[in-house]
Amino acid sequence: MSPSTLDHDDGLLQAHLDGELDPASAAAFEQRLAADPGLRARYESLLSLRRLLLAVPRDDVPVDRLRSRIDAAVERKAGGHRSWRALAAGVLIGAVLGAAGTIALVRSDSGREASSLVVTNHIRGLLAPQPFDIASSDRHEIKPWFTSRLPESPQIVDLGGDGFSLLGGRVDVLGEQPVATVVYRHGGHTISLTTLRGSRTVSGGSIAGYNVRTWREGEFTYVAVADLPDADLDRFQRAFLAGLSR
Amino acid sequence: MSGGNPTYPSFSVIERGLEPEKTRRARKVRMVRPDQGETTGQAVDDKDKRKLFGEVFLPHLVQAYRLARWLTGNAADAEDVVQEASLRAFRGIAGFGGINARAWALSVVRNTAYTWLLKNRSAAVVFTEDLDGAEQQRLERPAAEGEGAGTPESLLLAKADAEEVRGAIAALPAPFREVIVLRELHELNYRDIAEITNAPIGTVMSRLSRARAMLIAALRNTP
Repeated sequence: MSPSTLDHDDGLLQAHLDGELDPASAAAFEQRLAADPGLRARYESLLSLRRLLLAVPRDDVPVDRLRSRIDAAVERKAGGHRSWRALAAGVLIGAVLGAAGTIALVRSDSGREASSLVVTNHIRGLLAPQPFDIASSDRHEIKPWFTSRLPESPQIVDLGGDGFSLLGGRVDVLGEQPVATVVYRHGGHTISLTTLRGSRTVSGGSIAGYNVRTWREGEFTYVAVADLPDADLDRFQRAFLAGLSR
Repeated sequence: MSGGNPTYPSFSVIERGLEPEKTRRARKVRMVRPDQGETTGQAVDDKDKRKLFGEVFLPHLVQAYRLARWLTGNAADAEDVVQEASLRAFRGIAGFGGINARAWALSVVRNTAYTWLLKNRSAAVVFTEDLDGAEQQRLERPAAEGEGAGTPESLLLAKADAEEVRGAIAALPAPFREVIVLRELHELNYRDIAEITNAPIGTVMSRLSRARAMLIAALRNTP
């Protein structure tokens, strides 16, 4: 291989490995690979390199510390741009609205807000061509997919034996946090199961025609959404908890 | 990329119903690079900026950190770079074109990382694509031996452990390291990598090819 140019075969090898060839070129290249042992050997070594790279553990991410550093930095930045006049007006308005604001805060139901966000994500999933970003019924395939995108992968339980088949997974956004959602299917209905870290207040019940069920287990809060009756979601929850301890 | 002077991709600004008398200012804003947009605050008020920042940059924090970790080589530097990048992203949020938030966020992180490295660690970073003679010779060997049936590279490669692989990636010069990290660890396609690294797709492909050849050579040589 010359140092600065890419020979034609090498370009094809890279593009095929990276899934960048159109179907016709990919099929033609597959045939060449089958017929040419030398080319095949080069491709094999690229494949084994890829396996090695995928086996490198992903770095732990100090998400909470980063968030608080960023929030503080942005706060300083945004604050620094305010003129003294805006600041003075802010103080005045703040004083007047203070009492009313406190009442509004106490009343606003953050649990309800969280569950309606989860329902919104579920609806968005149903409107998309497919309700997941990775299609797989194999939890060993879904787990590393999440690990490469989120600080940690959720618990993925195979509930095929209980009538809830694993469809895949997607990354949703809740507030400003990316969260893991695992998608199941039950008799023509799609179930989105979102995993939240820590103990979170999320209210269950019915929102926009969808049933929300939430429970805590270990370090996580789980939120399941589907257009299924409560009894079915209850069965889903029990199957999930039983599956966790399998 | 030319000697230690990373260039910036350009993005168009989202049209947000600007009034006619503001269009001149808006045209100026459009020219602002994503991470240098100090003046964009005039076009988008603070509340909107925070909301956009929350939707565009923050969801990609994990990938931002992991990219910064690979580009800087250590955890403490990566945190500093991500904080600095988030400030640049916040200031320049109006420069986000509304198409691919992940690629935009990572391009800000990547540019910030190189500026940061030049300022703080200039001695430790190799930005050049020129390799010394020994490296060049090692590179040319796989093609020569690739067809020999005697040494199946895949068997030798399989012995390398994760730490060796990590070390081999870390040892790549920056232009090669960034494309292999974006492709294999962030699973981005050529178009996104080209956008993030501000290079044509052909350059991305040839850098990927050479990065892979270097990694195979390095890992094959481990005892």
